[in-house]
Amino acid sequence: MSFALIHAKPGRTWSTLLSWTLFAAGIAAYFYVSQARHRANPEDRVMPTVTQMVRGMYAAAMQPAEDDEQQVSGKFFSSMLWKDTKATSRRFFYSMILLFPAVLLGLHMGLFPYAGAFFLRFVLFFDKIVALSLLPILFIAFGIDELAKVMLIVIGVTPTIILDTFNLTRGVPAEQTVKAFTLGAGDFDVAYRVVLKQIAPRVLNSIRLNLKAVMLFLFAGEMIASTDGLAYRIALLRRHMGMDVIIPYVLWVALLLFLVDYGMRLLNRMLHPWFRES
Amino acid sequence: MPLIQIHDVSVRYTSPVLSGIDIEIEEGEFVCVLGQTGCGKSTLLRLILGSEKPASGRILVDGIEHHQPDRTRGYVPQKYSLFPDKTVLDNITFGPEVSEFNLFGRCTPRFYRRRRELRAQAFDYLRRIGLRAEDARKYPDQLSGGMQQRVAIAQALITRPQILLMDEAFSALDPGTRRDMQQLIRDLWQATGTTILFVTHNTREALRLGTRVIVLARESAGQGSRVMLDLPVPEPCHEHEIPRLIDRLETVQAVA
Ligand SMILES: Nc1ncnc2c1ncn2[C@@H]1O[C@H](COP(=O)(O)OP(=O)(O)OP(=O)(O)O)[C@@H](O)[C@H]1O
Ligand SMILES: [Mg+2]
Repeated sequence: MSFALIHAKPGRTWSTLLSWTLFAAGIAAYFYVSQARHRANPEDRVMPTVTQMVRGMYAAAMQPAEDDEQQVSGKFFSSMLWKDTKATSRRFFYSMILLFPAVLLGLHMGLFPYAGAFFLRFVLFFDKIVALSLLPILFIAFGIDELAKVMLIVIGVTPTIILDTFNLTRGVPAEQTVKAFTLGAGDFDVAYRVVLKQIAPRVLNSIRLNLKAVMLFLFAGEMIASTDGLAYRIALLRRHMGMDVIIPYVLWVALLLFLVDYGMRLLNRMLHPWFRES
Repeated sequence: MPLIQIHDVSVRYTSPVLSGIDIEIEEGEFVCVLGQTGCGKSTLLRLILGSEKPASGRILVDGIEHHQPDRTRGYVPQKYSLFPDKTVLDNITFGPEVSEFNLFGRCTPRFYRRRRELRAQAFDYLRRIGLRAEDARKYPDQLSGGMQQRVAIAQALITRPQILLMDEAFSALDPGTRRDMQQLIRDLWQATGTTILFVTHNTREALRLGTRVIVLARESAGQGSRVMLDLPVPEPCHEHEIPRLIDRLETVQAVA
Protein backbone atom coordinates (compact mmCIF):
# COMPACT_ATOMS: atom_id res chain seq x y z
CA MET A 1 0.00 0.00 0.00
CA SER A 2 1.00 3.60 -0.40
CA PHE A 3 0.41 4.89 3.13
CA ALA A 4 4.01 5.76 3.83
CA LEU A 5 4.81 7.45 0.57
CA ILE A 6 5.54 11.13 0.09
CA HIS A 7 3.52 11.07 -3.09
CA ALA A 8 0.51 9.42 -1.52
CA LYS A 9 -2.74 11.27 -2.21
CA PRO A 10 -5.29 10.51 0.49
CA GLY A 11 -8.85 11.15 -0.66
CA ARG A 12 -11.15 13.68 0.93
CA THR A 13 -12.94 11.21 3.18
CA TRP A 14 -9.72 9.66 4.33
CA SER A 15 -8.19 13.05 5.16
CA THR A 16 -11.20 14.11 7.18
CA LEU A 17 -11.38 10.80 8.95
CA LEU A 18 -7.70 10.81 9.79
CA SER A 19 -7.74 14.39 11.03
CA TRP A 20 -10.44 13.58 13.61
CA THR A 21 -9.03 10.24 14.74
CA LEU A 22 -6.83 11.62 17.50
CA PHE A 23 -9.67 13.72 18.88
CA ALA A 24 -11.90 10.66 19.03
CA ALA A 25 -9.16 8.54 20.55
CA GLY A 26 -8.40 11.19 23.19
CA ILE A 27 -12.04 11.51 24.21
CA ALA A 28 -12.58 7.76 24.27
CA ALA A 29 -9.48 7.16 26.34
CA TYR A 30 -10.50 9.84 28.80
CA PHE A 31 -13.94 8.40 29.36
CA TYR A 32 -12.69 4.87 29.58
CA VAL A 33 -10.19 5.78 32.30
CA SER A 34 -12.66 8.04 34.05
CA GLN A 35 -15.33 5.30 34.16
CA ALA A 36 -12.78 2.86 35.48
CA ARG A 37 -11.73 5.24 38.23
CA HIS A 38 -15.33 5.88 39.19
CA ARG A 39 -16.04 2.18 39.43
CA ALA A 40 -13.10 1.83 41.81
CA ASN A 41 -13.92 4.97 43.77
CA PRO A 42 -17.32 6.65 43.27
CA GLU A 43 -16.00 9.75 45.07
CA ASP A 44 -13.20 10.30 42.53
CA ARG A 45 -12.72 14.00 41.74
CA VAL A 46 -9.70 13.90 39.46
CA MET A 47 -11.42 12.69 36.34
CA PRO A 48 -15.09 13.71 36.36
CA THR A 49 -17.52 11.80 34.19
CA VAL A 50 -19.47 13.35 31.32
CA THR A 51 -22.55 13.80 33.43
CA GLN A 52 -20.55 15.57 36.10
CA MET A 53 -18.93 17.88 33.57
CA VAL A 54 -22.22 18.63 31.85
CA ARG A 55 -23.81 19.38 35.19
CA GLY A 56 -20.84 21.55 36.23
CA MET A 57 -20.82 23.43 32.96
CA TYR A 58 -24.56 23.87 33.05
CA ALA A 59 -24.23 25.48 36.46
CA ALA A 60 -21.41 27.70 35.20
CA ALA A 61 -23.11 28.78 32.03
CA MET A 62 -26.80 28.79 32.79
CA GLN A 63 -27.16 29.82 36.42
CA PRO A 64 -26.56 33.30 37.75
CA ALA A 65 -23.21 33.76 39.46
CA GLU A 66 -23.45 33.47 43.28
CA ASP A 67 -22.40 37.04 43.91
CA ASP A 68 -25.05 38.35 41.57
CA GLU A 69 -28.22 39.40 43.28
CA GLN A 70 -29.84 41.30 40.44
CA GLN A 71 -32.88 40.19 38.58
CA VAL A 72 -31.95 37.51 36.09
CA SER A 73 -32.65 38.76 32.58
CA GLY A 74 -31.00 36.27 30.29
CA LYS A 75 -29.68 33.22 32.02
CA PHE A 76 -26.45 33.00 30.10
CA PHE A 77 -25.61 36.67 30.35
CA SER A 78 -25.61 36.69 34.11
CA SER A 79 -23.72 33.46 34.45
CA MET A 80 -20.25 32.88 35.80
CA LEU A 81 -18.91 31.71 32.45
CA TRP A 82 -20.12 34.78 30.65
CA LYS A 83 -18.73 37.15 33.27
CA ASP A 84 -15.36 35.45 33.25
CA THR A 85 -15.21 35.40 29.49
CA LYS A 86 -16.15 39.06 29.36
CA ALA A 87 -13.48 40.07 31.85
CA THR A 88 -10.77 38.11 30.09
CA SER A 89 -11.83 39.32 26.65
CA ARG A 90 -11.71 42.90 27.82
CA ARG A 91 -8.11 42.55 28.94
CA PHE A 92 -7.25 40.67 25.79
CA PHE A 93 -8.78 43.43 23.71
CA TYR A 94 -6.84 46.17 25.49
CA SER A 95 -3.59 44.35 24.97
CA MET A 96 -4.39 43.86 21.29
CA ILE A 97 -4.92 47.60 20.94
CA LEU A 98 -1.59 48.20 22.64
CA LEU A 99 0.14 46.05 20.03
CA PHE A 100 -0.74 48.62 17.38
CA PRO A 101 1.76 51.26 18.54
CA ALA A 102 4.32 48.47 18.76
CA VAL A 103 3.88 47.77 15.05
CA LEU A 104 4.27 51.46 14.22
CA LEU A 105 7.37 51.71 16.39
CA GLY A 106 8.94 48.71 14.66
CA LEU A 107 8.13 50.20 11.27
CA HIS A 108 9.74 53.51 12.11
CA MET A 109 12.77 51.84 13.64
CA GLY A 110 13.28 49.86 10.48
CA LEU A 111 12.89 52.80 8.13
CA PHE A 112 14.31 55.81 9.91
CA PRO A 113 17.94 55.28 10.91
CA TYR A 114 17.77 57.76 13.79
CA ALA A 115 14.73 56.04 15.28
CA GLY A 116 16.49 52.72 14.84
CA ALA A 117 19.63 53.95 16.56
CA PHE A 118 17.58 55.39 19.40
CA PHE A 119 15.36 52.40 20.17
CA LEU A 120 16.92 49.21 18.87
CA ARG A 121 19.45 48.45 21.58
CA PHE A 122 16.94 49.20 24.29
CA VAL A 123 14.20 47.05 22.76
CA LEU A 124 16.66 44.20 22.26
CA PHE A 125 17.51 44.36 25.94
CA PHE A 126 13.90 44.81 26.97
CA ASP A 127 13.04 41.73 24.97
CA LYS A 128 15.33 39.63 27.14
CA ILE A 129 13.61 40.59 30.39
CA VAL A 130 11.58 37.64 31.57
CA ALA A 131 8.20 39.27 31.88
CA LEU A 132 6.94 36.88 34.53
CA SER A 133 9.83 37.78 36.79
CA LEU A 134 8.54 41.33 36.75
CA LEU A 135 5.18 40.27 38.05
CA PRO A 136 5.78 41.18 41.71
CA ILE A 137 7.28 44.52 40.68
CA LEU A 138 4.31 45.27 38.48
CA PHE A 139 1.84 44.47 41.21
CA ILE A 140 3.73 46.70 43.61
CA ALA A 141 4.09 49.51 41.10
CA PHE A 142 0.67 49.47 39.46
CA GLY A 143 -1.43 47.81 42.15
CA ILE A 144 -3.35 44.64 41.46
CA ASP A 145 -5.91 46.20 39.16
CA GLU A 146 -6.25 46.03 35.39
CA LEU A 147 -3.26 48.20 34.62
CA ALA A 148 -0.77 45.75 36.09
CA LYS A 149 -2.17 42.90 34.02
CA VAL A 150 -2.20 44.85 30.81
CA MET A 151 1.33 46.08 31.51
CA LEU A 152 2.44 42.51 31.95
CA ILE A 153 1.21 41.67 28.48
CA VAL A 154 2.78 44.82 27.07
CA ILE A 155 6.13 43.96 28.56
CA GLY A 156 5.88 40.34 27.58
CA VAL A 157 4.71 40.64 24.00
CA THR A 158 5.41 44.08 22.54
CA PRO A 159 9.19 43.67 22.24
CA THR A 160 8.64 40.60 20.09
CA ILE A 161 6.16 42.43 17.90
CA ILE A 162 8.40 45.49 17.65
CA LEU A 163 11.40 43.40 16.63
CA ASP A 164 9.36 41.31 14.24
CA THR A 165 7.99 44.39 12.50
CA PHE A 166 11.47 45.87 12.47
CA ASN A 167 12.86 42.80 10.73
CA LEU A 168 9.99 42.65 8.27
CA THR A 169 10.53 46.32 7.45
CA ARG A 170 14.21 45.70 6.89
CA GLY A 171 13.30 42.81 4.64
CA VAL A 172 11.48 45.02 2.15
CA PRO A 173 13.84 45.33 -0.83
CA ALA A 174 15.60 48.69 -1.09
CA GLU A 175 14.43 48.87 -4.71
CA GLN A 176 10.88 49.35 -3.47
CA THR A 177 11.62 52.40 -1.37
CA VAL A 178 13.92 53.87 -4.01
CA LYS A 179 11.25 53.31 -6.60
CA ALA A 180 8.64 55.00 -4.44
CA PHE A 181 10.87 58.03 -3.98
CA THR A 182 11.45 58.29 -7.72
CA LEU A 183 7.69 58.30 -8.18
CA GLY A 184 7.42 61.34 -5.93
CA ALA A 185 6.61 59.77 -2.56
CA GLY A 186 7.74 61.46 0.64
CA ASP A 187 9.15 59.68 3.68
CA PHE A 188 5.77 59.06 5.28
CA ASP A 189 4.22 57.96 2.01
CA VAL A 190 6.98 55.41 1.76
CA ALA A 191 6.44 54.31 5.36
CA TYR A 192 2.66 53.99 5.30
CA ARG A 193 1.69 53.55 1.69
CA VAL A 194 4.49 51.31 0.52
CA VAL A 195 6.24 49.52 3.36
CA LEU A 196 3.47 49.17 5.95
CA LYS A 197 0.99 47.96 3.36
CA GLN A 198 3.47 45.40 2.14
CA ILE A 199 4.36 43.98 5.52
CA ALA A 200 0.84 44.20 6.97
CA PRO A 201 -0.16 40.59 6.25
CA ARG A 202 3.09 39.30 7.72
CA VAL A 203 2.69 41.51 10.77
CA LEU A 204 -0.81 40.17 11.26
CA ASN A 205 0.56 36.64 11.01
CA SER A 206 3.21 37.44 13.56
CA ILE A 207 0.53 38.75 15.91
CA ARG A 208 -1.42 35.56 15.34
CA LEU A 209 1.61 33.52 16.31
CA ASN A 210 1.97 35.63 19.43
CA LEU A 211 -1.64 35.17 20.55
CA LYS A 212 -0.52 32.33 22.75
CA ALA A 213 2.04 34.50 24.49
CA VAL A 214 -0.60 37.17 25.04
CA MET A 215 -2.88 34.60 26.64
CA LEU A 216 -0.05 33.17 28.69
CA PHE A 217 0.75 36.50 30.30
CA LEU A 218 -2.90 37.36 30.68
CA PHE A 219 -3.55 34.09 32.47
CA ALA A 220 -0.54 34.49 34.71
CA GLY A 221 -1.81 37.91 35.75
CA GLU A 222 -5.34 36.69 36.31
CA MET A 223 -4.33 33.63 38.27
CA ILE A 224 -2.19 35.61 40.66
CA ALA A 225 -4.13 38.79 41.18
CA SER A 226 -7.66 39.10 39.99
CA THR A 227 -11.26 38.78 41.09
CA ASP A 228 -12.68 37.64 37.81
CA GLY A 229 -11.63 36.18 34.49
CA LEU A 230 -11.30 32.68 33.09
CA ALA A 231 -7.90 32.03 34.60
CA TYR A 232 -9.00 33.37 37.96
CA ARG A 233 -11.85 30.85 37.93
CA ILE A 234 -9.57 27.99 37.01
CA ALA A 235 -7.17 28.91 39.81
CA LEU A 236 -10.03 29.27 42.26
CA LEU A 237 -11.64 25.96 41.37
CA ARG A 238 -8.31 24.22 41.75
CA ARG A 239 -8.57 24.80 45.49
CA HIS A 240 -11.60 22.58 45.77
CA MET A 241 -10.60 20.26 42.95
CA GLY A 242 -13.46 21.44 40.75
CA MET A 243 -12.27 19.40 37.80
CA ASP A 244 -15.81 19.11 36.45
CA VAL A 245 -15.63 22.81 35.59
CA ILE A 246 -11.89 23.23 35.06
CA ILE A 247 -11.72 20.82 32.15
CA PRO A 248 -14.61 22.44 30.22
CA TYR A 249 -13.10 25.85 30.98
CA VAL A 250 -9.76 24.85 29.52
CA LEU A 251 -11.46 23.58 26.40
CA TRP A 252 -13.56 26.73 26.20
CA VAL A 253 -10.42 28.88 26.30
CA ALA A 254 -8.82 26.79 23.58
CA LEU A 255 -11.94 27.13 21.46
CA LEU A 256 -12.06 30.90 21.91
CA LEU A 257 -8.43 31.28 20.98
CA PHE A 258 -8.92 29.06 17.98
CA LEU A 259 -11.82 31.23 16.84
CA VAL A 260 -9.83 34.44 17.28
CA ASP A 261 -6.97 32.95 15.29
CA TYR A 262 -9.32 31.75 12.58
CA GLY A 263 -11.01 35.14 12.44
CA MET A 264 -7.66 36.86 12.02
CA ARG A 265 -6.74 34.49 9.24
CA LEU A 266 -9.96 35.26 7.41
CA LEU A 267 -9.45 38.96 7.98
CA ASN A 268 -5.94 38.72 6.62
CA ARG A 269 -7.12 36.98 3.51
CA MET A 270 -9.88 39.51 3.03
CA LEU A 271 -7.71 42.58 3.56
CA HIS A 272 -4.74 41.35 1.57
CA PRO A 273 -5.97 39.34 -1.39
CA TRP A 274 -2.59 39.78 -3.07
CA PHE A 275 -0.71 38.00 -0.32
CA ARG A 276 0.54 34.47 -0.97
CA GLU A 277 1.83 32.65 2.03
CA SER A 278 5.16 31.11 1.13
CA MET B 1 25.70 72.23 -19.54
CA PRO B 2 25.36 68.43 -19.62
CA LEU B 3 22.31 67.08 -17.81
CA ILE B 4 24.26 64.44 -15.89
CA GLN B 5 27.85 65.10 -14.86
CA ILE B 6 29.84 62.36 -13.20
CA HIS B 7 33.26 63.61 -12.10
CA ASP B 8 36.01 61.26 -11.02
CA VAL B 9 33.67 59.03 -9.03
CA SER B 10 34.91 56.07 -7.01
CA VAL B 11 32.95 53.52 -5.00
CA ARG B 12 34.21 50.73 -2.86
CA TYR B 13 32.48 48.16 -0.71
CA THR B 14 34.80 45.45 0.50
CA SER B 15 36.85 45.94 -2.64
CA PRO B 16 36.86 48.77 -5.19
CA VAL B 17 33.87 48.65 -7.52
CA LEU B 18 34.15 51.84 -9.53
CA SER B 19 37.23 54.02 -9.78
CA GLY B 20 37.71 57.32 -11.53
CA ILE B 21 34.50 57.33 -13.54
CA ASP B 22 33.98 60.41 -15.71
CA ILE B 23 30.82 60.59 -17.78
CA GLU B 24 28.83 63.50 -19.12
CA ILE B 25 25.40 62.94 -20.55
CA GLU B 26 23.48 65.52 -22.54
CA GLU B 27 19.76 65.99 -22.41
CA GLY B 28 17.86 63.67 -24.74
CA GLU B 29 20.61 61.06 -25.11
CA PHE B 30 19.91 57.35 -24.96
CA VAL B 31 22.95 55.88 -23.25
CA CYS B 32 23.42 52.15 -22.91
CA VAL B 33 25.80 50.89 -20.26
CA LEU B 34 27.48 47.56 -20.94
CA GLY B 35 29.69 45.50 -18.71
CA GLN B 36 30.21 42.09 -17.22
CA THR B 37 28.26 41.01 -14.20
CA GLY B 38 29.48 42.59 -10.99
CA CYS B 39 31.29 45.43 -12.71
CA GLY B 40 29.16 48.07 -11.01
CA LYS B 41 26.47 48.96 -13.53
CA SER B 42 23.66 48.91 -10.99
CA THR B 43 25.89 50.81 -8.59
CA LEU B 44 26.32 53.54 -11.19
CA LEU B 45 22.54 53.89 -11.48
CA ARG B 46 22.16 54.02 -7.70
CA LEU B 47 24.73 56.82 -7.61
CA ILE B 48 22.75 58.85 -10.12
CA LEU B 49 19.56 58.15 -8.17
CA GLY B 50 21.22 59.42 -5.03
CA SER B 51 20.39 56.31 -3.01
CA GLU B 52 24.10 55.66 -2.66
CA LYS B 53 27.04 58.00 -2.06
CA PRO B 54 30.38 57.77 -3.85
CA ALA B 55 33.53 57.40 -1.79
CA SER B 56 34.96 60.29 -3.76
CA GLY B 57 33.92 62.45 -6.69
CA ARG B 58 30.75 64.32 -7.52
CA ILE B 59 27.56 63.56 -9.38
CA LEU B 60 25.55 66.51 -10.63
CA VAL B 61 22.13 66.20 -12.19
CA ASP B 62 20.97 69.44 -13.76
CA GLY B 63 23.82 71.11 -11.86
CA ILE B 64 22.68 69.89 -8.44
CA GLU B 65 24.05 67.20 -6.19
CA HIS B 66 21.19 64.96 -4.99
CA HIS B 67 21.30 62.99 -1.76
CA GLN B 68 18.04 61.19 -2.16
CA PRO B 69 16.06 59.76 -5.08
CA ASP B 70 13.27 62.01 -6.29
CA ARG B 71 10.84 62.25 -9.15
CA THR B 72 13.20 63.92 -11.60
CA ARG B 73 14.92 60.55 -12.07
CA GLY B 74 12.62 57.64 -12.88
CA TYR B 75 13.82 54.14 -12.16
CA VAL B 76 13.03 50.68 -13.46
CA PRO B 77 15.07 48.39 -11.21
CA GLN B 78 16.48 45.01 -12.10
CA LYS B 79 13.97 43.29 -9.79
CA TYR B 80 11.25 44.11 -7.24
CA SER B 81 10.05 46.88 -9.47
CA LEU B 82 6.31 46.69 -8.77
CA PHE B 83 4.51 47.08 -5.47
CA PRO B 84 3.12 43.60 -4.78
CA ASP B 85 0.19 44.91 -2.72
CA LYS B 86 -1.22 47.10 -5.47
CA THR B 87 -3.06 46.17 -8.63
CA VAL B 88 -1.56 46.97 -12.01
CA LEU B 89 -3.76 50.05 -12.21
CA ASP B 90 -2.81 51.27 -8.76
CA ASN B 91 0.84 50.60 -9.48
CA ILE B 92 0.68 52.83 -12.53
CA THR B 93 -1.27 55.64 -10.86
CA PHE B 94 0.80 55.47 -7.67
CA GLY B 95 3.28 58.12 -8.82
CA PRO B 96 0.86 60.94 -9.66
CA GLU B 97 -1.39 60.06 -6.72
CA VAL B 98 1.37 60.11 -4.18
CA SER B 99 2.96 63.29 -5.44
CA GLU B 100 -0.30 65.23 -5.70
CA PHE B 101 -2.03 64.04 -2.52
CA ASN B 102 -0.62 63.48 0.93
CA LEU B 103 -2.04 60.91 3.35
CA PHE B 104 -4.90 63.22 4.32
CA GLY B 105 -5.54 64.62 0.88
CA ARG B 106 -6.83 61.21 -0.06
CA CYS B 107 -9.99 61.77 1.93
CA THR B 108 -11.18 64.71 -0.17
CA PRO B 109 -13.62 64.49 -3.10
CA ARG B 110 -11.03 66.19 -5.29
CA PHE B 111 -8.84 63.12 -4.88
CA TYR B 112 -11.52 60.84 -6.29
CA ARG B 113 -12.16 63.12 -9.24
CA ARG B 114 -8.45 63.25 -9.98
CA ARG B 115 -8.13 59.52 -9.57
CA ARG B 116 -10.71 58.96 -12.26
CA GLU B 117 -8.63 61.06 -14.64
CA LEU B 118 -5.47 59.25 -13.66
CA ARG B 119 -7.08 55.89 -14.21
CA ALA B 120 -8.18 56.89 -17.67
CA GLN B 121 -4.61 57.95 -18.33
CA ALA B 122 -3.31 54.67 -16.91
CA PHE B 123 -5.59 52.70 -19.24
CA ASP B 124 -4.12 54.69 -22.10
CA TYR B 125 -0.62 53.65 -21.00
CA LEU B 126 -1.76 50.06 -20.60
CA ARG B 127 -2.90 50.05 -24.18
CA ARG B 128 0.37 51.56 -25.35
CA ILE B 129 2.47 48.94 -23.59
CA GLY B 130 0.27 46.23 -25.02
CA LEU B 131 -1.67 45.03 -21.99
CA ARG B 132 -5.37 44.35 -22.01
CA ALA B 133 -7.83 46.30 -19.92
CA GLU B 134 -8.70 43.23 -17.85
CA ASP B 135 -5.08 43.00 -16.69
CA ALA B 136 -5.56 46.25 -14.84
CA ARG B 137 -7.19 44.54 -11.88
CA LYS B 138 -4.50 41.90 -11.50
CA TYR B 139 -1.77 41.88 -8.91
CA PRO B 140 1.86 41.83 -10.07
CA ASP B 141 2.42 38.18 -9.19
CA GLN B 142 -0.44 37.22 -11.48
CA LEU B 143 1.46 38.67 -14.44
CA SER B 144 4.23 37.12 -16.48
CA GLY B 145 7.73 38.58 -16.21
CA GLY B 146 7.38 40.47 -19.48
CA MET B 147 4.08 42.01 -18.47
CA GLN B 148 5.54 43.05 -15.13
CA GLN B 149 8.40 44.81 -16.90
CA ARG B 150 5.95 46.63 -19.16
CA VAL B 151 3.92 47.80 -16.19
CA ALA B 152 7.08 48.94 -14.43
CA ILE B 153 7.97 51.04 -17.46
CA ALA B 154 4.49 52.57 -17.62
CA GLN B 155 4.67 53.27 -13.89
CA ALA B 156 7.94 55.14 -14.31
CA LEU B 157 6.86 57.01 -17.45
CA ILE B 158 3.53 58.33 -16.22
CA THR B 159 5.29 60.77 -13.88
CA ARG B 160 7.24 62.15 -16.87
CA PRO B 161 10.71 62.06 -15.34
CA GLN B 162 13.48 64.08 -16.89
CA ILE B 163 15.77 61.08 -16.75
CA LEU B 164 14.86 57.42 -16.88
CA LEU B 165 17.24 54.84 -15.43
CA MET B 166 16.62 51.26 -16.51
CA ASP B 167 18.49 48.33 -15.04
CA GLU B 168 18.49 45.24 -17.24
CA ALA B 169 14.84 45.86 -17.84
CA PHE B 170 14.51 43.28 -20.58
CA SER B 171 16.94 40.58 -19.53
CA ALA B 172 14.22 38.20 -18.33
CA LEU B 173 12.26 38.35 -21.57
CA ASP B 174 12.14 35.99 -24.51
CA PRO B 175 13.64 37.28 -27.78
CA GLY B 176 10.28 38.14 -29.33
CA THR B 177 8.95 40.09 -26.39
CA ARG B 178 12.34 41.65 -25.99
CA ARG B 179 12.24 43.03 -29.51
CA ASP B 180 8.76 44.43 -28.96
CA MET B 181 9.87 46.08 -25.75
CA GLN B 182 12.93 47.55 -27.41
CA GLN B 183 10.74 49.05 -30.09
CA LEU B 184 8.37 50.34 -27.44
CA ILE B 185 11.04 52.03 -25.37
CA ARG B 186 12.67 53.49 -28.47
CA ASP B 187 9.31 54.93 -29.58
CA LEU B 188 8.61 56.32 -26.14
CA TRP B 189 12.05 57.87 -26.07
CA GLN B 190 11.47 59.52 -29.42
CA ALA B 191 8.02 60.73 -28.39
CA THR B 192 8.97 62.13 -24.98
CA GLY B 193 12.59 63.18 -25.36
CA THR B 194 13.41 61.68 -21.97
CA THR B 195 17.10 61.13 -21.30
CA ILE B 196 17.56 57.40 -20.83
CA LEU B 197 20.34 55.43 -19.18
CA PHE B 198 19.89 51.79 -20.03
CA VAL B 199 21.96 49.07 -18.37
CA THR B 200 22.22 45.78 -20.21
CA HIS B 201 24.36 42.68 -20.70
CA ASN B 202 23.41 42.38 -24.29
CA THR B 203 25.73 44.08 -26.77
CA ARG B 204 23.31 43.80 -29.67
CA GLU B 205 20.54 45.33 -27.59
CA ALA B 206 22.80 48.22 -26.61
CA LEU B 207 23.58 48.96 -30.23
CA ARG B 208 19.99 48.69 -31.31
CA LEU B 209 18.72 51.04 -28.62
CA GLY B 210 21.35 53.56 -27.72
CA THR B 211 22.68 56.69 -29.29
CA ARG B 212 25.79 56.02 -27.28
CA VAL B 213 27.28 52.96 -25.61
CA ILE B 214 29.49 53.05 -22.54
CA VAL B 215 31.47 50.00 -21.50
CA LEU B 216 32.54 49.53 -17.89
CA ALA B 217 35.27 47.01 -17.11
CA ARG B 218 38.14 46.34 -14.75
CA GLU B 219 41.66 46.66 -16.03
CA SER B 220 42.80 43.94 -13.68
CA ALA B 221 41.27 41.94 -10.87
CA GLY B 222 41.14 43.82 -7.57
CA GLN B 223 40.73 47.18 -9.28
CA GLY B 224 37.57 49.18 -9.71
CA SER B 225 35.83 49.39 -13.06
CA ARG B 226 36.57 52.29 -15.38
CA VAL B 227 34.96 53.58 -18.53
CA MET B 228 36.81 51.47 -21.10
CA LEU B 229 34.96 52.68 -24.13
CA ASP B 230 32.56 55.48 -24.83
CA LEU B 231 31.17 54.99 -28.29
CA PRO B 232 28.62 57.05 -30.18
CA VAL B 233 26.39 54.74 -32.17
CA PRO B 234 26.12 55.84 -35.79
CA GLU B 235 22.54 56.74 -36.61
CA PRO B 236 21.17 54.92 -38.49
CA CYS B 237 23.37 51.97 -37.59
CA HIS B 238 23.87 49.88 -40.73
CA GLU B 239 23.45 46.15 -40.38
CA HIS B 240 26.90 45.46 -41.84
CA GLU B 241 28.54 47.65 -39.18
CA ILE B 242 26.95 45.80 -36.28
CA PRO B 243 29.24 42.73 -36.19
CA ARG B 244 32.32 44.95 -36.16
CA LEU B 245 30.91 47.10 -33.34
CA ILE B 246 29.84 44.08 -31.34
CA ASP B 247 33.28 42.62 -31.74
CA ARG B 248 34.87 45.83 -30.56
CA LEU B 249 32.53 46.21 -27.59
CA GLU B 250 32.97 42.63 -26.49
CA THR B 251 36.74 42.65 -26.73
CA VAL B 252 36.85 45.67 -24.46
CA GLN B 253 34.59 44.07 -21.87
CA ALA B 254 36.75 41.00 -21.67
CA VAL B 255 40.01 42.73 -20.75
CA ALA B 256 40.13 41.83 -17.09
N1 LIG C 1 25.49 46.73 -0.71
C1 LIG C 1 26.62 46.13 -1.12
N2 LIG C 1 27.54 45.72 -0.23
C2 LIG C 1 28.69 45.12 -0.62
N3 LIG C 1 29.00 44.90 -1.89
C3 LIG C 1 28.13 45.28 -2.84
C4 LIG C 1 26.89 45.91 -2.50
N4 LIG C 1 26.23 46.17 -3.64
C5 LIG C 1 27.01 45.73 -4.63
N5 LIG C 1 28.15 45.19 -4.17
C6 LIG C 1 29.25 44.65 -4.97
O1 LIG C 1 29.57 45.61 -5.93
C7 LIG C 1 29.85 45.01 -7.16
C8 LIG C 1 28.99 45.66 -8.25
O2 LIG C 1 27.64 45.38 -8.02
P1 LIG C 1 26.53 45.81 -9.05
O3 LIG C 1 25.24 45.32 -8.54
O4 LIG C 1 26.65 47.25 -9.33
O5 LIG C 1 26.97 44.98 -10.33
P2 LIG C 1 26.27 44.90 -11.75
O6 LIG C 1 27.26 45.38 -12.74
O7 LIG C 1 24.95 45.58 -11.72
O8 LIG C 1 26.09 43.34 -11.91
P3 LIG C 1 24.89 42.55 -12.62
O9 LIG C 1 25.12 42.70 -14.07
O10 LIG C 1 25.08 41.15 -12.17
O11 LIG C 1 23.62 43.16 -12.15
C9 LIG C 1 29.59 43.54 -7.01
O12 LIG C 1 30.84 42.89 -6.93
C10 LIG C 1 28.85 43.42 -5.71
O13 LIG C 1 29.27 42.26 -5.05
MG1 LIG D 1 22.97 44.96 -11.76
